[in-house]
Amino acid sequence: MDPEQFQEVFKRLETEVQKVIVGHDDLIRKVLIAFFGGGHVLLEGVPGLGKTLLVKSLSRALGMSFKRIQFTPDLMPSDIVGTEVLTETNGRREFQFKQGPIFAHVVLADEINRATPKTQSAVLEAMEEKQVTVFGESHILASPFIVLATQNPIELEGTYPLPEAQLDRFFFKLLVTPPAPAELREILKRTTGTETGDAAKVLPDDDGELVNAMKQLLRQVMIAPPIEDYVVRLVHATHTESQNGGPAKTSVKQYIRFGSSPRGAQSVILGAKGNALAEGRVHVSYEDVEKIILPALRHRIILNFQAEAENVSADQVITDVIKQVPRN
Amino acid sequence: MPASSNRQARDRPENLVRSVTAKLRYHILWDSLCICIPPVAAAAYVVLLLFQTARLGESATIVSETLVGVLGLWAIVRRYRPLVPNVSVAAQMVDQQAGAKDHFLTLSTLDPENCPPSLWSRLYRDAAGFVDRIEPRRDFPYKVKRSAYWSVGVSIAAAILIHFLMPLTLPIAHSGTLQDQLHELAQELSAKPELRTLAQELETLAAKVGDPKTTREEKQALAQQLEKKIEEQQKKEEQKDSRDLLGQAASALEGMEQQQVASGNEQQKDQQKGAGGIQSNLPQQGQGESKQNQGGSGDSKSDSSAQLSPDLQQGKSGQGNPKEPGLEKNQQQGDAQKNNQPDPNRPGKEQNKEQMGKTQGGSKEGAGREKASEEPPPQGAPPADRFYQTGEGKDGIKGARYVTVQLPEEIAADAKGESRTTKESKGGKARTQVPVSNVPLPAHVPNAATEKQQVPIEYRGMIR
Repeated sequence: MDPEQFQEVFKRLETEVQKVIVGHDDLIRKVLIAFFGGGHVLLEGVPGLGKTLLVKSLSRALGMSFKRIQFTPDLMPSDIVGTEVLTETNGRREFQFKQGPIFAHVVLADEINRATPKTQSAVLEAMEEKQVTVFGESHILASPFIVLATQNPIELEGTYPLPEAQLDRFFFKLLVTPPAPAELREILKRTTGTETGDAAKVLPDDDGELVNAMKQLLRQVMIAPPIEDYVVRLVHATHTESQNGGPAKTSVKQYIRFGSSPRGAQSVILGAKGNALAEGRVHVSYEDVEKIILPALRHRIILNFQAEAENVSADQVITDVIKQVPRN
Repeated sequence: MPASSNRQARDRPENLVRSVTAKLRYHILWDSLCICIPPVAAAAYVVLLLFQTARLGESATIVSETLVGVLGLWAIVRRYRPLVPNVSVAAQMVDQQAGAKDHFLTLSTLDPENCPPSLWSRLYRDAAGFVDRIEPRRDFPYKVKRSAYWSVGVSIAAAILIHFLMPLTLPIAHSGTLQDQLHELAQELSAKPELRTLAQELETLAAKVGDPKTTREEKQALAQQLEKKIEEQQKKEEQKDSRDLLGQAASALEGMEQQQVASGNEQQKDQQKGAGGIQSNLPQQGQGESKQNQGGSGDSKSDSSAQLSPDLQQGKSGQGNPKEPGLEKNQQQGDAQKNNQPDPNRPGKEQNKEQMGKTQGGSKEGAGREKASEEPPPQGAPPADRFYQTGEGKDGIKGARYVTVQLPEEIAADAKGESRTTKESKGGKARTQVPVSNVPLPAHVPNAATEKQQVPIEYRGMIR
């Protein structure tokens, strides 16, 4: 796999999804970057913005198996990972593992915060380990595997917000914003007429090899030591008690309770590499880092009560950190 | 062929980064030089100025100039070293200039052996595409920093300030310069026929100033004599320009005298330091003689003579003329005279007469002593007196208030015209004249009670 081929496939995938999803070009790109970076994505937005449609279109374009799990308070872990069922074959009864919906390449965990923590943790174990264990037996999940979870930020009654440890397992947290008037007009034109477009398959069915080669190439993208150092300094700057980088920044001290984990730095570097490849480069630039840092760190920074009281978002604090940390 | 190979070599991305790095290093070096050299030059100029005005010797000047040079070099190195741009900084600047999105940075900071060859070659190819966009001379020109301008401005201002302030602050110290000045003045004076004599004397003095055989005292005496003559001539002179010239000569001589006195003091200090061993607090003979000479001259305006003459004058008047009457008394009552400083402008005789008059007036003695007690205590009180409590003194309580009981017999004696002098008054103590008693006063006393009151029997024994 060479960079040009990667870029070509990436572009085609983007174009196909953009045929269905109006606007949200940046969102589509970042979902694809997370997919090739081997991570999972948490999509946050109010209902009706096309989150589910985006995931469906993506799975169709990728030509991979797709399952959707609608999370509800009474959903059990076995409903997701599968369970042993008693079957009778040739007069002999035995337990056979019945795979749950998690055994797919692309899994949509719709409204993940509505399920109980027990069920949520079953999904999150699968996300991290890429395998599930049922009755002491481990079952490997499909490869490539991506979970696209959605959550509604406004209807919080009767929900179980994801704990910080589980949020940390998501590669990116992407915010789905309402469409602009021009985009809304285009949405109406496409969805209320007689012809409704659909994303075409870019990759052949279950072509895991190509996707794995693309994932491999993404990891080979070069990053200069000063840029790596810049990422390290950015992530360290989110800590209230900066370990190596001197005193913590003012806004960090004021609004952050806990800074980003090392997973945050990993996500930034991999995301930046994916962005560089998507732009046709084989090396990471400072701009790539700055484009990726918000979705990679916003769910990994835990704000304090003052930030909530003053309605300060994680994005604002991260932007402040970017301004305060020099490039060299 | 060589031109094309040079072109190819220059077109290589790593060469571009290298050349830009070298250029940036030159920039930093120039900045350091521009900032550090002006103060160094100013300092060197000041040292040279000190040498020219003879405030620094030749060896001290060489040492100072060397020190200034070394300090300047140290400052340049100290400023240059931390700012020396490395390859990554230069690469970033090239990236920024060419809009290369960190191609050159990645290329110059990564080891090709740790990178996939296909990706490395792709990166190299991409970077080579940006090389044409950069021309180091055009894109990285040297600009003099504002701090350099500040450095130049401040250094020049400081040098100018010192240049103009130095002659005002300190007098000319160099003997050669003084000699020259005297020569010049002599030449100017010789232009006027009536001042030729003075010019010749000034010329002689200038020659003696440079002569190491002439002693300091001789030079000083000559200068004083000449100064006196110049002053006399100045009084006689009617023309303004001549008076000015004479004034200049007088001030030059005055400066010379000060210089001689200062150098004499320094020599004395050096001798005391260097003598080691024997030290004496006895007055030196030579010094004493010179003091007498100065005192004898009387009209000398020099500071040293001004310091010395009051002492001598005071001594004269204090001693007075031994033939004059009252001298012995004065010597006996030396303590009393110390408080009454004699006026140096008055002749000693008159003062002595006054003193005699004062001491002879026995009835006025008490009043005179009261005056003395009202005067503030002398500042040079002996240290032992400082240990007395407030109001105490050598002879008991000072200034204490007390009442005097005047007995009826004394009042009666007063009325008869007898002397009021009591034991206390003889002893020299002041006594209040207000009688305080429960005894009725006699009729001739003002505010006396009209009726006579008998002294109670129980008090009579105590009072008498």
